[in-house]
Amino acid sequence: MNKMQLAIIKKDLRSITTNKNIFITLLIVPFVFAVFFPTLMILLMHFAPEDSMDFQKMLALLPSATDAADPTQEILFLFLNRIMPIFFIIIPIMAASVMAASSFVGEKEKRTLETLLYCPLSLKKIFQSKIIASFALSMAVSFGSFLVMVIITQLELFFTSGSLLLPDAVWAITMLLISPALSLIAITIIVRGSAKAQTVEESQQRSVFLILPILLLVIGQSTGLFLVSVWLLLGIGAVLAVVAFFFMKNGIGKPDYEKVMR
Amino acid sequence: MQAVQMDRLEKVYEGGKRALHNISITLDQGEVFGFLGPNGAGKTTAVKLMNGILAPTSGSCRVFGIDPAREPEKMHQLSGVVTEHAQMYDKLTGLQNLLFYGNLFGLSDSESRSRALSLLQKLGLTDATDKKLETYSTGMRQRLSLARAMMHRPRLLFLDEPTSGLDPESTMQVNRLIQRLARDEGATVFLCTHQLRYAEELCSSYGLIDEGQLLAAGNLEALRNSVSGGTTIRIEADRFPMGLPVCSNNGRQREITVQSEKEIPEIVRRIVENGGNVYHVSAHRLSLEEIYFALIEQRGKKGGTSHE
Repeated sequence: MNKMQLAIIKKDLRSITTNKNIFITLLIVPFVFAVFFPTLMILLMHFAPEDSMDFQKMLALLPSATDAADPTQEILFLFLNRIMPIFFIIIPIMAASVMAASSFVGEKEKRTLETLLYCPLSLKKIFQSKIIASFALSMAVSFGSFLVMVIITQLELFFTSGSLLLPDAVWAITMLLISPALSLIAITIIVRGSAKAQTVEESQQRSVFLILPILLLVIGQSTGLFLVSVWLLLGIGAVLAVVAFFFMKNGIGKPDYEKVMR
Repeated sequence: MQAVQMDRLEKVYEGGKRALHNISITLDQGEVFGFLGPNGAGKTTAVKLMNGILAPTSGSCRVFGIDPAREPEKMHQLSGVVTEHAQMYDKLTGLQNLLFYGNLFGLSDSESRSRALSLLQKLGLTDATDKKLETYSTGMRQRLSLARAMMHRPRLLFLDEPTSGLDPESTMQVNRLIQRLARDEGATVFLCTHQLRYAEELCSSYGLIDEGQLLAAGNLEALRNSVSGGTTIRIEADRFPMGLPVCSNNGRQREITVQSEKEIPEIVRRIVENGGNVYHVSAHRLSLEEIYFALIEQRGKKGGTSHE
């Protein structure tokens, strides 16, 4: 990445962070996923009477993931360290989709695209800059949310049960491999769509129709996977990372000024 | 060194619209070239072809030896483009916009800042430096676009209707800047406009285009020569000899079309030798506008064949 690409990335990120409406919308989904859900779960587990829970049956069906004898602890472990990571696949994609969807067509609507195309960067490099900008935003939101979630849940756990439940290897694989890889793939697809779209709305609708089914499929399938084996998860994460890298390098195809300007 | 070489350049859009047909133009460095024609004549298409944003259907184009279709990014480093379709960001201030484009062209932050402030001052935009672009008037936007295109000191500046929406004072500022750029920095200017009188004030050579065809190219003198009868002389005398090629007759005042002013003494001598008294002689040289319409007429008569 060179200095010129950095200029585009900085400009794109600034346009999101200085737009209060978009910025607040961007923070709502992460807040619900990273703060509201786990807090609800922790409080529910703390205040609900133990004998009224039907979780025992569910626990009996699942491979034991922890040595904890206390079913409350086991359920919290499952929720915080096995189910919550799945939300962190959704968060970065949701966060980046708005920016990625308007990456090219937004410039077209503002009549700034042609000015951008006259810069001394190849169209491929401009594409990459747009992808990196959205990716940077998605990762910033993702890691920011993660940090907030860890601090809040640990504090809540400490005050309700007197113990902590720190993130484990599944989290590491999710945050460092699976989530970035899937985000990058999704962003590349959305940015490509943005270059072909005529309006921002069209690009956003297209991104929802394109990304949502893939996302649901991945999440549906991976829920079970998160419970099976850390090594398998690591393997899948590595494969996804390779696919994502290939996507970013070559997924743009051979960009053509005429098609982008149309 | 030649700045631009277009050789039988042709562009047919998808859908069959032929925007440029067999255009050949050569531009020397430091020239202020006026590419003139009505809206839709193919001027903007030519600018896009020279910047590699469009690929030619046939023919070739070289800008400082670079083929823009093959290496557009190299070409963009040398050129600055002002067109009505190339706008800047409304939510950024004038200065922020210029800093962004400065960085985009590889200038450091400090270089960008000093260049931006100097251009803003030259274009009379100092007061609007920290105002958001959305508050700018059309004329201010146009001047900021010019500043943006000049940030990286381009060797070739493409200006598509640079003074549209400008008041006379701003037009003068822009003109001065363009002339200074060509004279002091040796930059070549490719100016597209349909305002022929404006172009005549500013340009050193011209290309006249209509419906994608080049009608003529060269300096004003060459263009005058390319149309039959480049100069009209108005003579007031009390008697005229027979056989003068008169094109209008208003009693004592007659208009005669000649190829050049060198023919005037001979005509006056013939009138005097014929016993006439000459009261007034003035030469009227064809303006760019008149040349343009004469060329359009000529093309109509020839059945639409192009020539250079």
